[in-house]
Amino acid sequence: MSAFLLFVLLGLGAGSVYALLGLGLVLKYRSTGVIDFAHGAIAMFSAYVFVNLRSTGVLELPWPVIPHEIPLTAGGQAMDLAPALVITLVYGTVLGLLLFLGVYRPLLQASPLTKVCASVGVMLFLEATAVLNFGTTSLASSPILPSEPIRLAGIAFPSDRIYLAGIVIVVAAVLLVVYRWTKFGLATRASAENETGAALIGISPVSVAGRNWVIASFLAAGSGILITPISSLDPTSYTLFVVPALGAALIGRFQSFGWTAVAGLGLGIVQSELIKLQTIFTWLPQQGLSDGVPFVIILITMTLSARRLGARGNAGTWRNPRLGRPSRPLLTSIITFVIGLIILVLLQGSLRAAFMSSIITMCICLSLVLLSGFIGQVSLAQMSFVGMGAFILSHLAGDLGIPFPFSLILSALLVVPIGILIGLPALRVRGVSLAVVTLATAAAMDALVFSNVGFTGGLGGRKVAPPSLFGLNLGISDGKIYPTITFGVLLLVIVVFVGYCVARLRTSATGRMMIAVRSNERAAAYMGIRVAPLKLYGFALSAFIAGIGGGLLAYQQGTVSSSSFAVFTSLTVLAITYVAGIGRIAGAVIAGLMFSSDGLFVSFLDDVIHVGQYQMIVAGIALAITAIGNPNGVASEMAGEKGIALRIVKLRDRVFPTSKPPALSPQPVIAVAKVRK
Amino acid sequence: MTRLLDVTDLRVAYGAVVAVDNVSLTIDEGEIVGLIGPNGAGKSSFIDALTGAIPNRGGSVVFEGGSLDRLASHSIARRGLMRTFQSVELFDDLTVRENLQVAAEQPTLLSMLADLVRPSKPKGVDDIAWASTLCDLDDALDRFPSELSHGQRKLAGVARALAKRPRLVLMDEPAAGLDTDESIAFGQRLRSLPGHGVSVLLVDHDMELVLGVCDRIYVIDFGSVIASGTPDEIRKNDRVIEAYLGGHDVKA
Repeated sequence: MSAFLLFVLLGLGAGSVYALLGLGLVLKYRSTGVIDFAHGAIAMFSAYVFVNLRSTGVLELPWPVIPHEIPLTAGGQAMDLAPALVITLVYGTVLGLLLFLGVYRPLLQASPLTKVCASVGVMLFLEATAVLNFGTTSLASSPILPSEPIRLAGIAFPSDRIYLAGIVIVVAAVLLVVYRWTKFGLATRASAENETGAALIGISPVSVAGRNWVIASFLAAGSGILITPISSLDPTSYTLFVVPALGAALIGRFQSFGWTAVAGLGLGIVQSELIKLQTIFTWLPQQGLSDGVPFVIILITMTLSARRLGARGNAGTWRNPRLGRPSRPLLTSIITFVIGLIILVLLQGSLRAAFMSSIITMCICLSLVLLSGFIGQVSLAQMSFVGMGAFILSHLAGDLGIPFPFSLILSALLVVPIGILIGLPALRVRGVSLAVVTLATAAAMDALVFSNVGFTGGLGGRKVAPPSLFGLNLGISDGKIYPTITFGVLLLVIVVFVGYCVARLRTSATGRMMIAVRSNERAAAYMGIRVAPLKLYGFALSAFIAGIGGGLLAYQQGTVSSSSFAVFTSLTVLAITYVAGIGRIAGAVIAGLMFSSDGLFVSFLDDVIHVGQYQMIVAGIALAITAIGNPNGVASEMAGEKGIALRIVKLRDRVFPTSKPPALSPQPVIAVAKVRK
Repeated sequence: MTRLLDVTDLRVAYGAVVAVDNVSLTIDEGEIVGLIGPNGAGKSSFIDALTGAIPNRGGSVVFEGGSLDRLASHSIARRGLMRTFQSVELFDDLTVRENLQVAAEQPTLLSMLADLVRPSKPKGVDDIAWASTLCDLDDALDRFPSELSHGQRKLAGVARALAKRPRLVLMDEPAAGLDTDESIAFGQRLRSLPGHGVSVLLVDHDMELVLGVCDRIYVIDFGSVIASGTPDEIRKNDRVIEAYLGGHDVKA
């Protein structure tokens, strides 16, 4: 019994950090409607700043390459605790404020998806900068809070856990009091409830939001400092703290400080107890249980209770991203195929391989064009579908010996039930809540499924048998040439066909229903559309396409490993598709060619000007800037009046003229247009 | 005349506030029935309750001999009972034609799968042409709702409901925001609907329109029916004049 109590107390450590980050997320959401995926990254960066000050007295600025180190002590001496604490807290707060002014303030009236993409951009930037400036080796730090053991009920445990939990309770209580009884709290609640109304009675929503961001960033910096002695510091795992923190905030409906704090502490305790349970029950999965189960809990509660997020009346009337209108999809597909073929033959070696990566990314992005573009369902679990497709294929083609193309189709079909399962919460929750729920799903899949050595082959990954048809080797390597043109043609055939299908769907009755649901779910139901099955159909199709993408990825890589499908890869895929134009087939093409990190354009840049290690930073900045400047996506811009896409379409129609049927215009039954009284 | 809609003791309460208090109403085939009442009288709640938006309402609704109780909105629409909205609620990302198509088409799961490769021929072409012509929208079919005037948007909302070839349309303030000329033209269109097999429940503020086109009228106030009858009877009813018309006579 006392052993269980020990693990409860140990769990308070991580739980406190989840709670503090969760409280900050609530503040940010309530004041701006932003779910800030970069919140954990701010904590991470502040932690590095603190650790550096404490060890060498150097202040690290948040950018790479150009000078970013300011020595604050003579001769690289360690800084004392108190000044280091103060400087770091101020640093984190200023960083948060600058990000608010530079990125989020211009986006106050933007759509939720735009805000998500901008914050993903910030997150990528901070994480990549940390990797460049601090490296990826884990750092440990000396304790801040008194941690001499306390004896309680017969067990000894480090006392800092009690202090940490105490800090969480105090912070939550202070926030509760401030937001309930002060004028500032009232103003925040008023502008969260009704931004226009608040502005009319003299509250500036921007200044309210800015002040809330300052508080939230202060908390993030604080939690970053507090966690360093408990959990060893590295860029990725600290950035990932945002996922359980989002879970805590979600349970608090992004509104209640009390529930968020309790949920954060609770998640930490559950994780800690699961570690204990693993040692008792050896039949339990030994990997990922403690990471995965909390997300399963979040998922189930969210799906069953379907609680809405706290009210946020927005003054802006944002529109969904614009949609494309594919004309003559068959012809366009053939032309695309021919152009792809030419590029394939012209390129060689690493660039040809990069072009192949681009094609596969296009397939994955197409699954999002369908799901998020057409039906408006945000999915942050898309790479989980891709991963499932890849690993299932490796089993089907390897152990079971099912031949191509049946193995590829069957593996994608097997991903469909998973897609429907992940789509179930979408029947109850919408918009930003859905985004967070799907992220929790991705985290659960990552921890429980992709860490399963039997399924994914562990660190080494799993080999995939190359595809062959009628004795003809279609694989990426034929022993002499790598990568082969045959494999490229295989990719082109499959992905162009998928693109053709998605384009066909767009102009079909099903596509119209999907867009109707995206535009106005309520009205769609009154027009006789069964909304729930339609959404699930969308998730199923999207999962199938993503599964195909996964299979192709497996064929390309030869060996699939679970690191390719980590939680944040899904965020990146959504972000690049959105920035490229999530409402269009062309958006998927541009995302694959231009924005994919191992795609053609980035590899070309790397070849020419060696951006290699700065690639993620460039990607992050590009993402945030495009989200701010061009909310409809690059493809939409290109399809505009003077856009390049329109010229291409005109050229196509001149080369392949069409004979349009004469328009039907029946006479009005009633000729009365206006009647005089 | 056959009975189309039979509403008995319909009751809607939001917490302690009773929005619709035991309202009974009938509509026969080929009728245009009006429902009027001051702001907040419960008119929109009544339509919401009929179309499945308020699951736990009281009373019973029988449409063409079948009960609508506990049916979801989409099933009610598929039975031929359509509605329009006070705030129009068109699908902004679709053209007017596509808006009408969404209502007119009824894809099955099989045709939804086939749509991936070979889209089915557009269905309901005749219904769409009929609805758009009736609402004088033929020139606006390929435009987006945001490019239409307010009056045209209202008409597009009506056309979308008609494109499903319903037996009965519940119209929630279709003439609100139209100018007098537009309102009269709209009334003429409305009058032609029973000839096409469509009955109408017209909810509106525009007394001239309602008294001019309706066969029978129900007047509700504070959630209850206070009068019903032909336009002439309603014009002369003392309680109506008091509650709704504020003591003034209305010129037809």
